[in-house]
Amino acid sequence: MSTPTDRDRADLPISFAPLRDQLLAAAGAFAADAKALGHILGGLVDDVERAFREPMEIFPVCHHSPSSALHMARRLAARPPRAIFMECCEDMRPVVEGLRDCRAPVALQAFASTSEHFPAAWSPLSLVCPLTEFSAEYQAIAYAMETSGVELHFVDRSADHVFQWMPQEPGALEDAVPDDPDAEDQDAGMHGSAVGVEMGSLVPTFGLFRDVLLKNARVQHFSEWWDQYVEEAVIDGDYPAYRQVMFLIGSLFRRLGTAEPDRREDELRERHMWTRIKQGLRATGVDPKDALYICGAAHVASRVAEFGLENDALWDVPPRTPTTWLYGILPSSYSAISHQFGHPRGAVTLAETRWRKGIARNGLKPFAIQPRMKGRKGEEEGAAPAKATKPKKAPKAVPPPPPIEVAPAPDRLLGYLQGPPPPVESDEEELLKNCVKIVELARNNGYLASTADGIATYQTAILLANLRNRRHPTPYDFRDAAITCIEKESVPGRRDVARLCDVLLGGDRVGRIGFESLPPLARDVYARLAPLPITLESRTIQRALLDFRKSPELLPCSDLLWKLRYLLPQNVVRPIMGRRELGHVPQQESWDVAIGQNQGAVIQLGYEGMTVEHVLERRLKKAAFDPDARAADALRAAEDGLLFLGSERLVEELGERAVDLLTREPDARQAREIHTRVTRLVHYYRTTEAGLPAWLKRFVTAGYSHYATMLPNGFADRGVAPGDLAAMLQFIFTLESLALSLGCERSQLVIAVRQAGPVAVDPPKLSILWAAECVLRLRDVAGLRARFDALAENELTLPALPEYLEGLLLALAFTPLVGGLTVELLSKAFERLPDRLLMPWMPKLLRMLRPHADAALPVLVKEAAAVFPRGLDALEGWTAPWDRTKAGPSVATVEAPRAAKGPTEREASRLLAAFPATTDALATALGLPAVWSADGPSPSPSDAPRDSEHEAARALLRDHPATSIAAASALG
Amino acid sequence: MARAKSGGAEGAVATQADPGEVLRAPAEVKYAEELEWLRSIDGDARPASWRLSPRLVRVFVLGSSPSDRLEREIRPKFFGDPGTVERAIVTLASDRGLLLIGDPGTGKSWLAELMAAAICGDSTRVVQGTAGTTEDHIKYSWNVAMVIAAGQSRESLIPSPIMTAMQGGLMGRFEELTRCSSDVQDALISILSEKYIAIPELKGDDVVFARPGFNVIATANARDRGVNDLSSALKRRFNFVQIPVVTNKKTEREIVLFRTKELLARNRFEVETPPALLDILLQTFADLREASASQTSEDDRLESALSTAEQIGVLEDAVLHGRFFGDGSLAPGALAKSLVGTLVRRIPEDVSILNKFWHAAVAKRAKKDGGAWEAFEAAGKDALEGMK
Repeated sequence: MSTPTDRDRADLPISFAPLRDQLLAAAGAFAADAKALGHILGGLVDDVERAFREPMEIFPVCHHSPSSALHMARRLAARPPRAIFMECCEDMRPVVEGLRDCRAPVALQAFASTSEHFPAAWSPLSLVCPLTEFSAEYQAIAYAMETSGVELHFVDRSADHVFQWMPQEPGALEDAVPDDPDAEDQDAGMHGSAVGVEMGSLVPTFGLFRDVLLKNARVQHFSEWWDQYVEEAVIDGDYPAYRQVMFLIGSLFRRLGTAEPDRREDELRERHMWTRIKQGLRATGVDPKDALYICGAAHVASRVAEFGLENDALWDVPPRTPTTWLYGILPSSYSAISHQFGHPRGAVTLAETRWRKGIARNGLKPFAIQPRMKGRKGEEEGAAPAKATKPKKAPKAVPPPPPIEVAPAPDRLLGYLQGPPPPVESDEEELLKNCVKIVELARNNGYLASTADGIATYQTAILLANLRNRRHPTPYDFRDAAITCIEKESVPGRRDVARLCDVLLGGDRVGRIGFESLPPLARDVYARLAPLPITLESRTIQRALLDFRKSPELLPCSDLLWKLRYLLPQNVVRPIMGRRELGHVPQQESWDVAIGQNQGAVIQLGYEGMTVEHVLERRLKKAAFDPDARAADALRAAEDGLLFLGSERLVEELGERAVDLLTREPDARQAREIHTRVTRLVHYYRTTEAGLPAWLKRFVTAGYSHYATMLPNGFADRGVAPGDLAAMLQFIFTLESLALSLGCERSQLVIAVRQAGPVAVDPPKLSILWAAECVLRLRDVAGLRARFDALAENELTLPALPEYLEGLLLALAFTPLVGGLTVELLSKAFERLPDRLLMPWMPKLLRMLRPHADAALPVLVKEAAAVFPRGLDALEGWTAPWDRTKAGPSVATVEAPRAAKGPTEREASRLLAAFPATTDALATALGLPAVWSADGPSPSPSDAPRDSEHEAARALLRDHPATSIAAASALG
Repeated sequence: MARAKSGGAEGAVATQADPGEVLRAPAEVKYAEELEWLRSIDGDARPASWRLSPRLVRVFVLGSSPSDRLEREIRPKFFGDPGTVERAIVTLASDRGLLLIGDPGTGKSWLAELMAAAICGDSTRVVQGTAGTTEDHIKYSWNVAMVIAAGQSRESLIPSPIMTAMQGGLMGRFEELTRCSSDVQDALISILSEKYIAIPELKGDDVVFARPGFNVIATANARDRGVNDLSSALKRRFNFVQIPVVTNKKTEREIVLFRTKELLARNRFEVETPPALLDILLQTFADLREASASQTSEDDRLESALSTAEQIGVLEDAVLHGRFFGDGSLAPGALAKSLVGTLVRRIPEDVSILNKFWHAAVAKRAKKDGGAWEAFEAAGKDALEGMK
């Protein structure tokens, strides 16, 4: 960059030579190496001169600076430009039209739900550019929108470039996104996890420079420094002085206060901006003298080749990625802006207060964006159309006002640098008022504050300001003083004194998006929920009571609320009473609706589709057709589709996908969920006129075959949990009759169980297998009991009893046949297991029973009720049935007496006895002896004569007991 | 300690002692020359009997910056949030007492001493709050022999440090206020409100009035909260200023170095602390704090507050060990042993917690960074092993 010549300098309306001389003299006086410092200080003046020399006027701004906004309003009114070039993402320009229906603060948003061109961890990509009413950019936008013939160009890099220029690493985005705000500060999180861009960001990013700046100024935050050293000095100054000061500070921060990576990115942006400006001027043919370039003050110190209109250098702007970006407007808040950009809490509120005072003091009329349509008197934007009156015509754009001649201002830059900040307006009255109010607020929030605290706060604020070299306490001093005097060792309520000061000094302000600027989906939601007897726009939670018997027209609202419940975060709409289940017909429902509080969530949903149903369908399909989706996911999507959309076409598509996934399931980890859902669907469809749909039939048959096939492997593979195995058998047995009726064959199951017999070794799985064999009549319960008795009687196998019992408990899910046996074995376990085994097992048993409370426990309780005595009286002579069986001479004696035959049964017995041929033939065919008994039970197998060999062995052991005694001793 | 009273223009009491003759000289003696210089250049308005203006009290405590335009540099003595110190200073200029509240080892007493030294040149008017503190310690007591001999009179009255401060228009200090029982604490109410102490035993001349400039700087331990809570009446008469635990590594490094050097100066020697070892100490404490914060149960946390003061203690101990029992330099092993010895207070609970930490965090760093970390890890393990 060439140095300006004397002739160039002579062109300037103001001479900066005295300033340059003074700075160079200061460098010589204070620095060891005067040349280096002189070069830096001289460079600052060069930057100011260069910016002044540009044919197109550069308007330097600082983010959310009220003085920038005030000077902008003055400048636009004084010399209305024909074209405005603004530092803002160029692809966000079309969104600006939507601002007509919004109440600031709002944020322009670019959103991409997914992109293959950026790290996957970044999705969804979201970028926000917040706008407040008291920002220079808002004033310029308002002017351009309300004045005919004015062109507004956004010239900064696109949203896509913002992400392109970040380090392409998964963790890089985390640095650009603020941390989650405090739970109590809900509005601070309104931008979600979006990357923020702000026009004219001037916060120094070079840490050392920032630290020195703040330390020397005795302030804690940059905002405080800016307020004290710049804002106060320039807010009431003239326009040229404002520009000079801003150019100088921008140059200083750019040269000394910007970290290297940020400087590189700034240069890319500057190349982009100047290229777009030149292209825009060429395309529109606007004279540069009629144009205005609004940018951050630091950009005036740019060293890029494209800087300025005196050269034709253009940059080849790198192409955007093919990512699909969607644009819209989000509601924002002052706390969200502060949180997004790391400003101290309340900084934006203080800026607004200063702006309002500035307007009042200067009698200025700021530019405002006129709403597109006006509702009834007192009605706010954002209302559903049903509540809006007839739309009126948009106000006609006015031609640019005639320019106001402004007298050339004297050189104020030198004065600014030499003198202390001018005295601030005497706000004694306001300070007193604040001291009184903060005490009142504190008292309302649980503090034991009194008038004495108000006096102390006032006194401390003055002392603090004095200590900090300020003529009058700033709001920051007031806040510190209030904290010092009122805050004690703990916060009694929800808000601390710092928070109360924020509330007192203006509080948070939350923006709202007007109905017309909402995406179609959000508009549809507002319109469809309009019949509800609540105010949707309210910022408080609204309770809606829906009685469908009296107001059946509210049923569609209920449907929509359930869909929103499914799609949105849990706090947006919340059912207090009512449920959504297959086949359930609602009578009454009660909802907490907080859409007004969470407008942003509904708007973001609008990026996913045109209607709620559209988004819901897309999400369900995405869940079902995800490459990693399992059968249960698809089945869940199908059930949700039926529940929320009732679309048979969609449900069939998702159901077919579920069938497809089921046949490819590698394991049975989701068998329980699948069984629960399928059973629910089968029950539901059975109540419908059309009956089971084809896909569900296929799912049942496929599931029966699939799980039957997996059984042998499941019993053998130790990686398959017994619970999953039981869930597979639960599917098979509970849906067996349906599956068999649809063409499945039981032989497949029988073969599978028989194959599993030799391979099952784990005790729980063996129990499950035996229970399954009982169901299939491959084993009887008596045999099973004998087997467990043998286990319990053997000291060596007794420790394994809990594991077997675990299997039996799991088996209760698919058969109640083993219920009695389980009760018996549990009783025996409690009776016989030694404490060293029983005690560790108890917690495990309880934990295991808990998830099966719905299936296993009812069976167990029923069986136990049948076995155990019902009262204390009966306990005296009570003997457990299994003990009675042992004690008695034969099973016949302990069997319950047969119930007396009824007249019909007696007649049938008599008839069969009179004509035995048919019965005998049937018995012969079944391979049973044709023996007739007139009365009493048939002989029991247990009555069979004992084996003579066993008798001989017992006699031998009785005669020579030494071996048995030794074995018993060895076993303890 | 030799002490001489000299009535200055503001009636301040100067404490004089040769720093070489006392183990620990108070701040006004230690920095007497600096304070005198600041006083000589102070042209700002001063409240009541203050020896320095609030702006220069701030400079004395926090150190000077170029914007102060002083001819000589004033080194910082308290490292922390400047806003907190400013709030403390202006409180002392107001009608209310100052209560510094914070975790143990955050520098409350040090800040109180510095402010008292700068404001009135006497930081030794201290009442140490304990469970045995009585109202007599706060107000006055009697010389029993003189009372028996000559009855109760001004001569037989023994004023408390607070009463002395009132009489001289000085800063009275009250350490660990919440260790005293509530009824004893309430003796301060009338002192802070009416600014006088009545002596009903005397007939005539029975009130001691506070001279302008008198105020009270009290400290309280945040961990004692709930033991002896302040009454609402007393709370109202104090401004509470929270002194947070320093978590900024740069600041913490400065504090540790500054204080360790000061402490070692008592033994009249200096030991250069290798930056790598200081980093190890700071990092270990940072890791310990993080580990402690992530625990949900008190049983899984060390009893220690893990404050900056404990880091200073660890470093001083290690330096002394190296000096007297080692080769004169600071070794990683000595640092590890000192750290373990300082932090283990409950056996076996703290040993177990520290053992887990050592194997998880320190071993990881030793493996990753090597160097002095390895010796530090090994010595720590040995020390912990010896405590089992």
